[in-house]
Amino acid sequence: MSALSVPVKEVSRFEEYLDHAAAEVFSTMMGVSCAPVNECAGRERETISAVIGLAGAVSGSMVMQSGNLAAMRMAERMTGIAPHSVDAMVRDAMGEVCNMLAGAWKGRDSRMSSGCLLSTPTVVAGNHYELFSQRASVRIERSYRFETMTFTVTIFCDMSS
Amino acid sequence: MVGMTVLIVDDSSVMRKIVERALRQAGLDITRVIEAGSGREGLTALGKDRVNLIVSDINMPVMDGLEFLRQIRSQSLARGVPVVMITTESGEEHVREALAAGARGYIRKPFTPDQVRERVLPLLGSA
Repeated sequence: MSALSVPVKEVSRFEEYLDHAAAEVFSTMMGVSCAPVNECAGRERETISAVIGLAGAVSGSMVMQSGNLAAMRMAERMTGIAPHSVDAMVRDAMGEVCNMLAGAWKGRDSRMSSGCLLSTPTVVAGNHYELFSQRASVRIERSYRFETMTFTVTIFCDMSS
Repeated sequence: MVGMTVLIVDDSSVMRKIVERALRQAGLDITRVIEAGSGREGLTALGKDRVNLIVSDINMPVMDGLEFLRQIRSQSLARGVPVVMITTESGEEHVREALAAGARGYIRKPFTPDQVRERVLPLLGSA
């Protein structure tokens, strides 16, 4: 299957899809509103990132990154259990939120919905790492706020102008 | 149906708990929940226990949900037990593939208990 040809001008449409996906996932699974913000609040030293691979009509990855407190709060809202640290449950929850974001995002476009497959999530946690995408020609980054906390979603993918 | 046993298959333990909670909030009277982290674990569970409902994700390591469905049918496990897929995959092709493999229902993540109630309860009446 050939890669989806998406003009650069369509990037804003993909950003809109992501905004809708974030609002839907946080509202449905956590009962909180989630809205875009211009930038994340001062970054915590300890962060956690969930990565979902995209393959097929769109190739690349989606990365969701937040501070530890935000990740713990997401896990608590989803499960009803308050974690005391970034434990296995929190990592699992982050992976699932990223998974649902990716699914809801691609589901808004009929070609991506059937033509783009998602990997199982990978979660990275720590205080000194950076994530790079080797192939992506386009990077879409959006920051969001839920309650008083923020997180960032970055999509690396191949598009054509 | 009173006092059900439900098999929940998902590689995320968090999601398995969320699905269980949604099923209970949807009004199902669940006595026992069996959890499996992959299709293969799900097949093992079905070889040991009788269940009244199976809820499965699609994207899982080791054995995905569609292969799990095909194996249930080919091994004649869980005859007559409704299988509902709960997954992030929403494309029409994925839905068709799941229904063709034997799923009786399909729910996209993220989901609400109301959506679970609408899709699952009618299946139990006809099980």
